[in-house]
Amino acid sequence: MKSRIFKATVSVAIFMVISCIAVIMGVLYAYFDKEYTNELSQEAVYIARGIERNGMSYFDGFDNKQNRITWVAPDGSVLYDNIADKSHMENHADRIEIKEAMESSVGKSVRYSNTLSEKTIYYAVRLTDGSVLRVSATKYSVWVLLLGMVRPILVVVFAAFIISAALTYQVSKRIVKPLNEIDLEHPENAVSYDEITPLLKRIAHQNRQIAKNMEELKRQREAFSTITENMSEGFLVVDNLAKILSHNQSALRLLGIKNNVENRNVLELNRSESFCRAIDLALGGKHNEQILRLEGKTYNLLANPVYQEEKVVGAVVIILDMSEKEQREAFRREFTANVSHELKTPLTTISGTAEIMKNGLIKPADIPHFAENIYNEAQRLITLVGDILRLSKMDENSFSGERSEVDLQPVVAHAVQAVRQAASERNISVNVSSVSCVIMGIPSILEEIAFNLCDNAVKYNIEGGTVDVTLSEKGGSAVLTVSDTGMGIPEDEQDRVFERFYRVDKSHSKEIGGTGLGLSIVKHGAAIHNAKITMESVPEKGTTISVEFGLTSEKSVL
Amino acid sequence: MSIRAHFDDELSFLNTELIKMGALCERAVSVALDVFFTHNRELAKAAQRLEKEIDAKERDIEDLCMKLILRQQPVAGDLRLISSAIKMISDMERIGDQAQDIADIAVNINDTELENRIHIKAMSETALKMVTKSVDSFVQKDMSLAESVIAMDDEVDSGFDKIKNELIAAIDSNGLKSEEYIDILMIAKYIERIGDHAVNIAEWVEYSLTGEHRKEDI
Repeated sequence: MKSRIFKATVSVAIFMVISCIAVIMGVLYAYFDKEYTNELSQEAVYIARGIERNGMSYFDGFDNKQNRITWVAPDGSVLYDNIADKSHMENHADRIEIKEAMESSVGKSVRYSNTLSEKTIYYAVRLTDGSVLRVSATKYSVWVLLLGMVRPILVVVFAAFIISAALTYQVSKRIVKPLNEIDLEHPENAVSYDEITPLLKRIAHQNRQIAKNMEELKRQREAFSTITENMSEGFLVVDNLAKILSHNQSALRLLGIKNNVENRNVLELNRSESFCRAIDLALGGKHNEQILRLEGKTYNLLANPVYQEEKVVGAVVIILDMSEKEQREAFRREFTANVSHELKTPLTTISGTAEIMKNGLIKPADIPHFAENIYNEAQRLITLVGDILRLSKMDENSFSGERSEVDLQPVVAHAVQAVRQAASERNISVNVSSVSCVIMGIPSILEEIAFNLCDNAVKYNIEGGTVDVTLSEKGGSAVLTVSDTGMGIPEDEQDRVFERFYRVDKSHSKEIGGTGLGLSIVKHGAAIHNAKITMESVPEKGTTISVEFGLTSEKSVL
Repeated sequence: MSIRAHFDDELSFLNTELIKMGALCERAVSVALDVFFTHNRELAKAAQRLEKEIDAKERDIEDLCMKLILRQQPVAGDLRLISSAIKMISDMERIGDQAQDIADIAVNINDTELENRIHIKAMSETALKMVTKSVDSFVQKDMSLAESVIAMDDEVDSGFDKIKNELIAAIDSNGLKSEEYIDILMIAKYIERIGDHAVNIAEWVEYSLTGEHRKEDI
């Protein structure tokens, strides 16, 4: 705007200067022209008088070479010329000024030279005898005069330009200043030209409108991001070039991305086959579901195209963590397989033995031995089914008994009592040291825990080993510790022994007995009581398992 | 849409295509190694299919790059990206070929005890990691990843030398099964070549990022 004002003003100034010069030149030239013609006419009249009085002799001693003086006879022949030789001059009767003078006593004409650089003014007077006296003067035309004045004119124009530029610069600055000072945030307060007040009002109105819309958008975006950020599912929005437009933290977490991904290509997050296919199909306008496996986890990808005016403009991808579900399913399958296997083994023995007996292949004396076999296997089945039932009851959270205050001391004593028989058969000494600890719990489950721990300690012990059962109070919790001197558990299997049907030593499992469910029951029971299980084990040295229960007193405070 | 915005869209499309092609290469190498190590014949077909897919992708990307160069006359960083893309895809295509070759040869090897005598697994895992990382370095425009790929090549090279010596010793002691050993030598060589191509890709990534190439004076 400043430069616009500047240019306009300077060009106006230059135009004014040039047109002034032109007008002045025109007026002055016309004035001098007239003066000059007057002079010529006076001179012509003056000389004419002289000739009329003195005749040709008037020219004697006439040395005026400034103007050309020609005396023409009435027939057009030249009688005298002060510059050219009259004998070489043609007849002048057809000259305009002479013709005019012959007709009306005075004639005048102006002729330009070929180059227009000079012009000649002729003035003719008719004498009384019919002859004509002509005075003419040659002078430069206006163009030549102008050409001569080019330098001063340029100087003037240049000076005008400099001065007007300097002034205009200041002026334009001053004009623009109030406009620049308008605070566009609050245009209604601005003091400025009246002409732009409506514009300012309009801007103020639009500002308010924009602020309102922004507020609205921000609120919507916050609501949206609150929803997406609190989703545990990953959420990605991509445009039709697979560039990420929006995402939530869960998506980055699930895909294991740490850096900023806004506006990056979605395939930079993951480029596995299923991910590529999900994006491709969605951008091709097809809803699809894919399974993505990533670092031992399983994700379900749900990809949907986004349409705008029947054209795919992007896609929305939702990432669901299926690992847990998948794990549970695998767990269930494994459990079913294990249960069937564990149930089938004793049943095969029972069925086989019974078949032999049925076919009468056994001496009557041996029958008690075979019957014992059947009995033992049946007992094993009963224990197994009992264990499975207990576990599935715990799974279903349907406990046989409400929580009540239980003293662990008699529970432990009871469990130890139950294993003493088996222990003494293998010369294992069982040492108990216990204090009275009252906790809130379910008696039947607590009994299961104590029994299974003691039972394992005896079962997996060596001949003549020891089992130490300690029940003590430590820092507000009751700790039941059972240590044995048995085979121990290798470090890499310590996590797995709590799994159902898992056994460290698969080959000896049969002769030791046991169902592989004992520690599972302990783990489950402890979980129901919010108890913590710790395990220390050194292979060939022994195992110590501690279960830490919160005490009643602590619970009642809570 | 302005010309520049249109060009940007096309560049980002090129980027997507390169990522896809890189992913195909990773998959091809890992499938080929699976054929070799797990003797899964079914996977050999998958390796062939992947090789065809990679070839098709190479042609597509080549076309796209040529179109971009001719129509947009890119300069500076854009030109570097496109020219290094043209170089990278030929390395990727070679990786696909070699993966298929490995799969083809591996089908004939039945020795399940091989692992105990020839220690090829560590080397092939390194090579696979190199391919993954070189693609990662392009995807994430990460110089340090590209450098680590280049550093890993020595591991693969020395692995190849070791396997060669092991194979020579094995042939000396047991001349009957030499044919299989030659096959394994070929596979080891292909794996070593895959590592070299991964290095090339990483070098082109460096070039596209910095404008300087280690080996060539561009």
